[in-house]
Amino acid sequence: MGNGAMLVIHDVHKSFGHVGALRGVSADIDKGELISFLGPSGCGKTTLMRIICGLTKPDAGEIILEGRVINDVPPDRRGIQMCFQNYALFPHLTVTGNISYGLQVHRWRKDNIRARVEELLHLVQLGGLGDRRIDEISGGQQQRVALARALALAPKVLLLDEPLSNLDANLRVHMRATLREIQRKVNITTIFVTHDQVEAMTMSDRLVVMNQGVVEQVGSPVEIYEKPRNEFVAKFIGYVNILAGVVKDTSDASGSAVIDTELGEAEIALGGSRLSRGEKIYVIIRPEAIRLEIRKSAGPMNFFAGSIRSVMYAGSTVKYTVDVGGKDLIVDEYDPTTHGIRRMGERVVAEIPRSVHILRASSGAPAEGG
Amino acid sequence: MAQARALGRAAWARGNAAEFVQTHVVTIAGGLLFLLLAVFLLWPISAVLVKGVYGPEGFTWRFYERFFTAYYYRSFLNTLLLGVLTTSVCTTAGFCIAYLTTRGPRPLRSPLKWLTLLPLIAPPYIFALSIIMLFGRRGFITQLFNLDVQIFGFTGVVIAQTLAFLPLAYLIIENMLTSLDSSLEDSAANLGASEGKILRTITLPLLVPGFLKGSLIVYVMAVSEFGNVAILAGRTPFLAPDIYTIVTGIETDFHMAGTLSVFLLLPVAIIFLVQNYFYKDRGYVTISGKPSYADPRRIGWLILIPMMIVASVAVALVVLSFAVVAIGGFTRIVGIDNTFTLAHIVDWRANHALISSLKVSLLAGLAGAALGILIAYVVVRGRFRGRAAVEGLCLAGFAVPGTVLGIGYLLAFNSPPLLLTGTMIILVLNSVFRFAAVGMEAGMTKLQQLSIEVEEASRNLGASTPTTFRRVVLPIIFPAAMYGFIYVFMTTMVSLSAVVFLTSPAYPLVAVFIFQWAQYGYIGLASATTVKVIAIVAVCLAVIQAMSRWTGFSITRRD
Repeated sequence: MGNGAMLVIHDVHKSFGHVGALRGVSADIDKGELISFLGPSGCGKTTLMRIICGLTKPDAGEIILEGRVINDVPPDRRGIQMCFQNYALFPHLTVTGNISYGLQVHRWRKDNIRARVEELLHLVQLGGLGDRRIDEISGGQQQRVALARALALAPKVLLLDEPLSNLDANLRVHMRATLREIQRKVNITTIFVTHDQVEAMTMSDRLVVMNQGVVEQVGSPVEIYEKPRNEFVAKFIGYVNILAGVVKDTSDASGSAVIDTELGEAEIALGGSRLSRGEKIYVIIRPEAIRLEIRKSAGPMNFFAGSIRSVMYAGSTVKYTVDVGGKDLIVDEYDPTTHGIRRMGERVVAEIPRSVHILRASSGAPAEGG
Repeated sequence: MAQARALGRAAWARGNAAEFVQTHVVTIAGGLLFLLLAVFLLWPISAVLVKGVYGPEGFTWRFYERFFTAYYYRSFLNTLLLGVLTTSVCTTAGFCIAYLTTRGPRPLRSPLKWLTLLPLIAPPYIFALSIIMLFGRRGFITQLFNLDVQIFGFTGVVIAQTLAFLPLAYLIIENMLTSLDSSLEDSAANLGASEGKILRTITLPLLVPGFLKGSLIVYVMAVSEFGNVAILAGRTPFLAPDIYTIVTGIETDFHMAGTLSVFLLLPVAIIFLVQNYFYKDRGYVTISGKPSYADPRRIGWLILIPMMIVASVAVALVVLSFAVVAIGGFTRIVGIDNTFTLAHIVDWRANHALISSLKVSLLAGLAGAALGILIAYVVVRGRFRGRAAVEGLCLAGFAVPGTVLGIGYLLAFNSPPLLLTGTMIILVLNSVFRFAAVGMEAGMTKLQQLSIEVEEASRNLGASTPTTFRRVVLPIIFPAAMYGFIYVFMTTMVSLSAVVFLTSPAYPLVAVFIFQWAQYGYIGLASATTVKVIAIVAVCLAVIQAMSRWTGFSITRRD
């Protein structure tokens, strides 16, 4: 990263009227990586993509490709290709016509075009469909035509704007793997835009989480999931159990602290965080890290008695809402076929793990590193 | 629906008629509408066609022989040329303006649009009047620059018809351009295509269905709305004025009029078929993603400047025409005695015609909108065979040249069982069935956006089909009905081609009045009356706009 980055987005601002779509966005993208821009709709992802490929001008900030500022380079000279959300396939042309469009515009020789199209059709596994009309192929195939068309001119950077959002659930999961495979094969630097955190996590080398025109966090899927930087990232990435608490006691010897949470007292591992007594924090707990057991009463610390308020069976997991003294905890249990499914109203004791993620309440910033 | 049919059959078996009607109400309505369309469109049109081959002696080709031996075939060729020229100029100009109002410089868009639409509120032959006053032998511009121009003949006719029907071409093409997914053009730009290349390889090919549709409508109007043609043709013969002369002249000859009508109809039928059968499944209404609020790409000067020139010339001529007609209405004799007078504007002879035009137009507007919406519902929601026939017949009413339908009504309703000539009803019915297609198309678009599940939910909650229509469907498609009303109302106020055969002294129409005065050379009187018509239409539009909060329909906003 840093100076070695292939594409640098530096402090980009853009507003439409009074609406600030982007408010100082920066990110570095390395050569050959697949980086996802993740955020709720309206967070400015699409606007950023349009700015990167030159269809929209930023109000301020720079786009730097291979060390060169390309703000004033027209879209067709940037070597950055965009795949539109609705594919934007030309409906009056065939599959081949679509893929070869850019090549024809750049006046490639006929036999070169034919060879290149053949190669691309093979790459996206559409061999033999070149003569089909766009409305004669399926949604997944249209998606791959759009990809082939964007790859035809061998761009330096590929932008994929919510490429899977128009596909149905099963196909979407299948296309994730296909897209990733093609991206690795061509080794093309790719920016992937999505609002689906599972999609972003499974496909990307790194993630950029955006919200309301600013970058909230950049990191690998593991970093983002295990150490969300603030409440927004934590919630967006799928955490549902966020407990407010006050540090009651810390012990450097055992590397742990006692927190007075909404549920009661819990002992947690500090794991490098430095907390001082009386500090207000948030404790963030993954649903799959909480264990449920049937006991008569709450034990020492970390064990809280409650009752099952709702049961959602999803095959490989069951999602329970556990009412602990008026506060809801979401708990995932795996393999219900083996372990059985709990009943509504059943009394349980929830065990909060010692290793959790901690956010400082005041700044919303993570508590590690001081 | 299959279930409904089964239910219906069961009800029939039980002899429960009320229940049968309940389950089949849409199909029954479809049957009734088809019957209406057959009586008021199919029958008159057939009557005209039959007249051409059926003389007093029985079946004969002699009228066709006369067509090719007399000068009539020249009228046909002239008409064909007029149609093709007007249509090409009109769609080209319409495209340039539509491109500018959708992709051009922002501050220009709105003014350009409204100026282009201005001719809609005026009778089409306003341009015959204005061209005579501007470029005639004693015209303002002729005298100002001491020109020697010959406007009588093709030149004048093509210019006048182009300006008159520019709004129609513009509206259709603009609509297509707006619904064209802008990411297609963005994507081509992203692949390296220049602005000109995008226009040539993406935008224009995608607009082909729109061009065809626009061409059809402009062609029909150009060859059949013969006010401009009759006033400006000079010695050049054209079919529509010929038919008018044959029917209203000393020797009325419906057989020859029928033959000429066939040749007026033929090119229209061909375009109609091409549009409906070759391009029907090639309608590129692309799945539009979210509307792009991003900056439009800039148009290059090479494209902007020629388009601006075309647009400015067209708009300048429109504005000039309106101005000169306003002046003409208050001038004693334009070009000869240029003194101010109120004589034309206070002339009482037109007032009776104005009032009866207004009555006919309002009635036609209401009935036309209602009919259009009903047909739209039946066509979109019905599941009976023959839906396409109902839709096609309704569209045919719109596509058939008004001249032909005018004569058809004269032939069909001149004798019992339906003796209607000389009544106000025949004027209303003619307009209703000619223009119902506009309300139908608008209604169909709305209904296709409305998921059937919404209606099923209503029925599921216990509402009958008519109740569902009244309480759920009607509120949603009401704006389409308003659109249909406005179109039928405005067009009936100013259209000439059909009603010119159907007016009677008891129900004179203002369009016919103006046309006849202009023909006799009373330009001042014709201009003053035109000004009154424009004022009335403008006031009506203003009233509708003022009610937009309650009607949900706004003239300035497109759904």
